[in-house]
Amino acid sequence: MTICKIKTLKNNNRMSTQELLQTIYKKIDEGHTEFEIEACGQHDIGGAVKAKKDDASLLFRITNPGQRVGAMAMDGVKIVVEGSAPADIGWLNSGAEIVVKGDGGDTAAHCAAGGKVYVGGRVGTRSGALMKHDPRFEPPQFWVLKNTGSFSFEFMGGGIAVICGYDCDNLDSILGNRSCVGMVGGVVYVRGKVEGLAECVERIPLDKLDKDFLKSGMPEFLKEIERPELEEELLDFSGWTKIIPLPKELKEKKQPVKEFIKNEWFKEGLFGDLVEDNGEVFGLAETGDARLRKPVWDKDLCVSCDLCLKNCPQNAIKKDLANYVSEPEKCIGCGICAAVCPRKAWKMVNN
Amino acid sequence: MAAVGINELHKNDLPWILVYDESKCIQCGKCTAVCSFNAIKPAVELRKKSNSITEKNKTEKVLVIKQNVSLENYCRGCGMCANVCPNGAIRLIRNKDDRYSVAYRAIKADSFKKGGRSNLNTEGRTLDKIKIGRISQMTDPSLDAQRHTFELRTPFGRVLKADKLNFDVKDGKIIETTQLPPNRWIYPIIFGDMSIGAVSWRMWEAMAIATAYLNEVMGIPIRMCTGEGGIPTKLLKSRYVKYMILQIASGHFGWNRIIKAMPDMTEDPAGILIKIGQGAKPGDGGLLLASKVAKYVQEIRGVPKADLLSPPTHQGLYSIEESVQKMFLSMNAAFKFKVPVAIKVAASTTSVSVYNNLLRDPYNIVGGFFLDGLAAGTGAAHEISLNHTGHPITSKLRDCYLAAVHQGRQGEIPLFAGGGLGQTGSFAADAFKLICLGANGVFTGKMLMEIAGCVGSDTGRCNACNTGLCPAGIAAQQDCLVKRLDVDKVAQNLVNYILATDIELKKLMAPVGCSTLPVGRSDALITVDKHISNRLDIQYAC
Repeated sequence: MTICKIKTLKNNNRMSTQELLQTIYKKIDEGHTEFEIEACGQHDIGGAVKAKKDDASLLFRITNPGQRVGAMAMDGVKIVVEGSAPADIGWLNSGAEIVVKGDGGDTAAHCAAGGKVYVGGRVGTRSGALMKHDPRFEPPQFWVLKNTGSFSFEFMGGGIAVICGYDCDNLDSILGNRSCVGMVGGVVYVRGKVEGLAECVERIPLDKLDKDFLKSGMPEFLKEIERPELEEELLDFSGWTKIIPLPKELKEKKQPVKEFIKNEWFKEGLFGDLVEDNGEVFGLAETGDARLRKPVWDKDLCVSCDLCLKNCPQNAIKKDLANYVSEPEKCIGCGICAAVCPRKAWKMVNN
Repeated sequence: MAAVGINELHKNDLPWILVYDESKCIQCGKCTAVCSFNAIKPAVELRKKSNSITEKNKTEKVLVIKQNVSLENYCRGCGMCANVCPNGAIRLIRNKDDRYSVAYRAIKADSFKKGGRSNLNTEGRTLDKIKIGRISQMTDPSLDAQRHTFELRTPFGRVLKADKLNFDVKDGKIIETTQLPPNRWIYPIIFGDMSIGAVSWRMWEAMAIATAYLNEVMGIPIRMCTGEGGIPTKLLKSRYVKYMILQIASGHFGWNRIIKAMPDMTEDPAGILIKIGQGAKPGDGGLLLASKVAKYVQEIRGVPKADLLSPPTHQGLYSIEESVQKMFLSMNAAFKFKVPVAIKVAASTTSVSVYNNLLRDPYNIVGGFFLDGLAAGTGAAHEISLNHTGHPITSKLRDCYLAAVHQGRQGEIPLFAGGGLGQTGSFAADAFKLICLGANGVFTGKMLMEIAGCVGSDTGRCNACNTGLCPAGIAAQQDCLVKRLDVDKVAQNLVNYILATDIELKKLMAPVGCSTLPVGRSDALITVDKHISNRLDIQYAC
C-alpha cells in the first residue's frame, strides 16, 4: 500500500488534532502502515495506535509535531521526528521506537515502561521521570545525545537511560540539578560532569556488562539520529559512570551519636573537671553507689534476733560474731532490714 | 495506738494512692529502693492468725509495702516502683479528692512550690483548633516532603530593610560602608534555656552533644540556649560555642567565668539571650532550691548552697529604653557587635508595646524577640504563679507579628515563640502553625526533657523538678539519680527526635507548596472556632 501523506496546513487552515488523529485512525483501518505527516503542532501523533493486521507494523515520519508525540505508543510502532519535538515525547511509551532527531522538550520518556526513545539533541526538565520496568517485557530505553534538564529521573522505578553528554562542555552538570530524586530502580548511564544528584542514589563506575550494553546499543542509536561518526568518541568509556539507587540501609543517614562522642567530644566529658563522673549508667534498684539510701546499724540497740538477716531480699546482711554488716555490693537500699527490726537498730540514711 | 486525728494528714489526702497486691509481692524490696521521694516504705503489719473463735486475738506479723503519709515524703505518681516490680504487685492511682495542697498551706504557712508545668489546662489549646487547610493541588505545585529539597532556615539577628543597607560600589564591587547588624541563618528550632542546676550535668551535656552532632554531622544548624546557670569553661573555649546562645537573666549567674573565658574564645557564640521573663511564671524570678545547688553548681555560679532566688526583674533596668541602652548595648559591645543579642519575655498583654519599642530602637541592635507562653515548663515555681499567671502564646505572637506588619516592618526583629509546644503530641505541628502565624522559629525545653525520659505530665504526674529528686536524673543533682541518665542515649534520642521533626515539618511545608519556611503564611491555616478566627485573623471553616 502507498505511503499515506498528510499535510495539516492548507491555505492557512490548520487541521485540528482531532481531525488529524481521526484521519490517521481511518487510514490505519483501511490498511495503511506508513505515514508522512507534516504536522502543525498537533499532539499525540503516533500514540495509542496499532496496525490493522497483527503482524504488521506502523511507521510515522513526522515534522513539526506538538506535544506528546508517541504518547502511550505501542509495540510495532516506529515514529521518526525530523527536527525537534516539544514536551512529553514517548510519555507512557509501552513499546514503540521513537526517534527525535533534534531536541526534545520537558518530561521526555516520562513514565515510559517499554520501547525506545532516541533523542538526537537535548531534553528538558523531569525527563525520564517515573520510568518503569515490567519484568515480563523488555525494559524501556531512553537515549539522549546531549543532556537533560533538572529533576530528571525523579522517582524512576526501572528501565535504562543513556545520557551521552555530547556538546556539553559549557554545562556544570549533564543532568542539571537535583536529578534522580526518589529513584528506586533502573539505571542511568551518563557521560561527563554531574552535580547536585539526589542523596538516595550513588554514582559508580561501569562494569563489563554495562560496557557491553552501551557497545551493543550505541551504533543503532547513532544511526537513527544520523550521527554515526560519534561512535568512537562516545564509546570511550573514560567519561562514563552509572547512577543507581542506593540500597535502603545506606539511605539511612543516621550515624550513631556514640561515635561522635568518642571521636569529637571532650575526652573526659564536658563536666569532667567539675564533677566525678566516669560515665557509668545506674540501673534502677542497683547496689553500691547507685543506691538512694543505705542501712546503718547501731550495735547498742541490736538484740541479735536475726530478723534483718532473714528478711533481707539480697542476702546482703552478714553476721560477724555479734556484729551485723550490710554489704554495699549486695544491698539495694530497700529498707526491709530497718522495717523488720524490732528495736530500730537499722536506720536508712541517704547514700 | 494513738487516735487518728481528723486534722492530720491522711493517706487519702495525698495526690496519689498506692495500690498494693500483697499476694503478688515477693518482698524483693526494689520498689522502695528506687523511690527517690522516699514515698513508700517496707513495713510490718499485723494479720489475724486464724478465724477460729478461740484464737481470735492471735496475730502474726507480715511484711508489706506502705505509702508514707508526709508533707515532704509523699508520692508524686512517677511510677518507678511499678516499673521495677517484677510481678505487677504495685501501682498508683490518682486521687481525685486529694487535699494535699490545702493541707500543705494549712500546716506550713508557706506557698506551695513545684516544678514542671501548670496543671490547669482548663482553656484547651488554641493550636489544636487550627488546621493546615490550604493545600496546593492544582493551584500551585505541591512538593514531595521526602524527596524534594527544603530550606529550613530562619534569621537570628536584626534584619535591616533594603533601603537601610549601606552599600557602595568600589572597583566594580559592592562593599558595606558601615558594619551591618550580625545575623545568622539558623534552624527554626532552638533548644530552650534550661540552666545547669535546673537540669543535671548529664542532661545538659546530652543537649550540648545533640546540638553539636546535629550541626556537624547532620548539617542541621540548630542552636541551644544555655540557660543562666553558667557554662563550662571548656565549652566556651571550644568550637562548639558557636552553636550556643548564652543567656543572661536577672541573677547574672555564671557570667564571671564567661567573661574570664572571653579572651580565649576562638569562636563567637551563636547569640546572647537576655531573659526578662519566662512564660511559666511571668513576673517572677528564677528559683533554684538549695537541694539542687550541688557543689559544682555552687562553683560555676559563685554561690553557696542556699535557695537561689533571682530577682523578678533585671535590677537597674526600669524601662524598655533603658534596657536597650544598658543591656543590649553592653552585650553587643562585649562581643564586638558581631553576635546577635535577643530578648526573651513572657507573653503578656503588654508584650506588643515592648516589641514595638524595640522595633523602633534607633541602634538596630535587637536581634530577636522571644515570646514565652503560659504553658511553658519551669524548674521550680510557686504553684500560684505557675497555675494562675501568664498569657497564651498564640494570640500574643500573632499580635506582635501583625503590629510589625501594620508598620511594614515584619521580619526586622525575628520572632521566636515557645511555651508548651508539643503538649498534645505533635511538636512539629505546633511549630508549623506558629510559624504560619508569624514566628520565625520556636524554642522548647520541656519537649527535650520528655525525650530524655521525663515522666511528668500536664495533668500532675511527678512535676517535682524543684526537689532535685527527679527519678529520671534529668532535673536531679544527686549523684545516684543523675547517673540514671544515659548521656549517649539521651543525646541520640534528642537527635532522632529532631530528625523526625524535620521530616514532619517538611510534611506540612510540602502540601502548602513551600520549600522555605512559611513565616506569616496565615492563609495556610483555618480554624473551626469563630473566636479564634476573629482573634488571629485566619480563615473560619466549618
